[in-house]
Amino acid sequence: MRRWSDRGIVAAAWGSSAFLVVLLLAFLSYAFVRAWPALNTALFFGETPPLDALLFRQPVFEGLWPALFGTLVLVLVSTAMAVPVGIGAGIYLVAYAPPRARAVTEWAVDVLAGVPSIVMGLFGLALILFLRRTFMPEANTCLLLAAGCIAMLVLPGLIRTTQNALSGLPDVYRLTGPSLGFTRWQQIRHLMMPGASQGILSGVLLAIGRAAEDTAVILLTGVVARAGLVRGLTDKFEALPFRIYVRASEYRNETELAQGFACAVVLLTLTAVLFLLATWLQRRLEAKWSR
Amino acid sequence: MEPLVKTRDLCVRFGAQEVLQGVNATFRSGEISFLIGPSGAGKTTFLRAINRLNEEFPDCVTTGQVGLRLEEGWVNVYDRAVDTATLRRRAAMVFQTPNVLPFSIRKNIALPLRLTQGLAADAIAERVEEALQQAELFDEVKHRMDEPALNLSGGQQQRLCLARALALRPNVLLLDEPTASLDFRATRKIEALLRHLSERYAIIAVSHSLGQTSRLADRCLVFNEGRIREEISGEQLHDAGMLRRLADELF
Repeated sequence: MRRWSDRGIVAAAWGSSAFLVVLLLAFLSYAFVRAWPALNTALFFGETPPLDALLFRQPVFEGLWPALFGTLVLVLVSTAMAVPVGIGAGIYLVAYAPPRARAVTEWAVDVLAGVPSIVMGLFGLALILFLRRTFMPEANTCLLLAAGCIAMLVLPGLIRTTQNALSGLPDVYRLTGPSLGFTRWQQIRHLMMPGASQGILSGVLLAIGRAAEDTAVILLTGVVARAGLVRGLTDKFEALPFRIYVRASEYRNETELAQGFACAVVLLTLTAVLFLLATWLQRRLEAKWSR
Repeated sequence: MEPLVKTRDLCVRFGAQEVLQGVNATFRSGEISFLIGPSGAGKTTFLRAINRLNEEFPDCVTTGQVGLRLEEGWVNVYDRAVDTATLRRRAAMVFQTPNVLPFSIRKNIALPLRLTQGLAADAIAERVEEALQQAELFDEVKHRMDEPALNLSGGQQQRLCLARALALRPNVLLLDEPTASLDFRATRKIEALLRHLSERYAIIAVSHSLGQTSRLADRCLVFNEGRIREEISGEQLHDAGMLRRLADELF
């Protein structure tokens, strides 16, 4: 007969995950119900015909399309900056760093991980102020700056998950490559990366989620309530989390509040789509590597 | 047969721990040599000293010489000029537990050929088939070459590892307890295979089984505390009394 403590643990484990699912469903359905009245094409494009807006032929004044587009570009640019550096640093720590360099780098990563996002935003702002007073008087907060600061924010997580995914691989990976005459890099590229890709993906997903939702950083580095579609990396931009924040704190009627909820639903959907995209990409790579 | 591998005063230590203390031995082509002895006697370290795999571990210091005879003559494998990729191709290794990679059967053999020898696709295909034939695995897997190698049974996986080593066209095969994780039937299959392969390669194998040693070995080196204590060959290998004495001494 199984011990009561065993059963208790099993029940607690089941309960915890069930609680999580119930909580998530409750949250999603609440947001969806509150958002329902505002979920229509006008939410996205206001008075502008959708096709014209999507093809960038006419500006959108009322809808959240510019914010959706802004967040999408922000996520893509910041992950494009952070992912290669994060994975590269993770590989360095596992495979190449001498003990001392590793200790110093790990310490730096930990410190970076402890920097609150609002402080990261302040760094960005301070950089612009510095540039304006020195050799770039025309410098201003913009999408590129915001993306750079967000990249710094998500970098430690990426480095750590890459490092853990690679160093957590079974021992068979350690001697097999060398015994077949692989160089260190071949060993990493052809044996360890395929084995660790799923773990690394989870770090990328967290980075995408963080980049999509962070408000504090962009608040100080270039987001505005009304900028229209972002046209370049040095432009001010709109973003979904900031729009949610503005709608939630300054709504004047029920419609605007519903729009805030709708905006939240759109942000969640966008994040989910990006997650699916990243997962699909990882599966494709894994299948390609293992054939 | 001419000697193929020679060690002189080979010492290996990891940090402060001396694992090998001056080992002198010679191995010839067409001969199976077994290394036996209690755990911690230095058998595996000796094997890994030949292809320099000990260097993958921290704090490893090797002194003395390991000579390997190649087409161009004798080389000291610890010479700076020796490229480890080439060395490990010439002295190929099979491990205790089958270490197939989480790839297809084909890719397990093809990947090292592509990466370390830069062979073209058709040359690789030829070598893959040849190696699988040699390891007597080809007929079992020829219709499912693109399936994951991890779906194979333990014995098949170990023969795949052997095929992967043979595909490198080595001069020496280093086998670290190649049947330790296999059942009786798979063990016998591998043993028959080794007997067959020993005509073409110098085989150096670590084993914990005296039975296996007596069935397969042309000679047997008894390791203890980092040194070779005894060498047994010929009729002595089949002498039951001799084996019983060894078993009492070693285990």
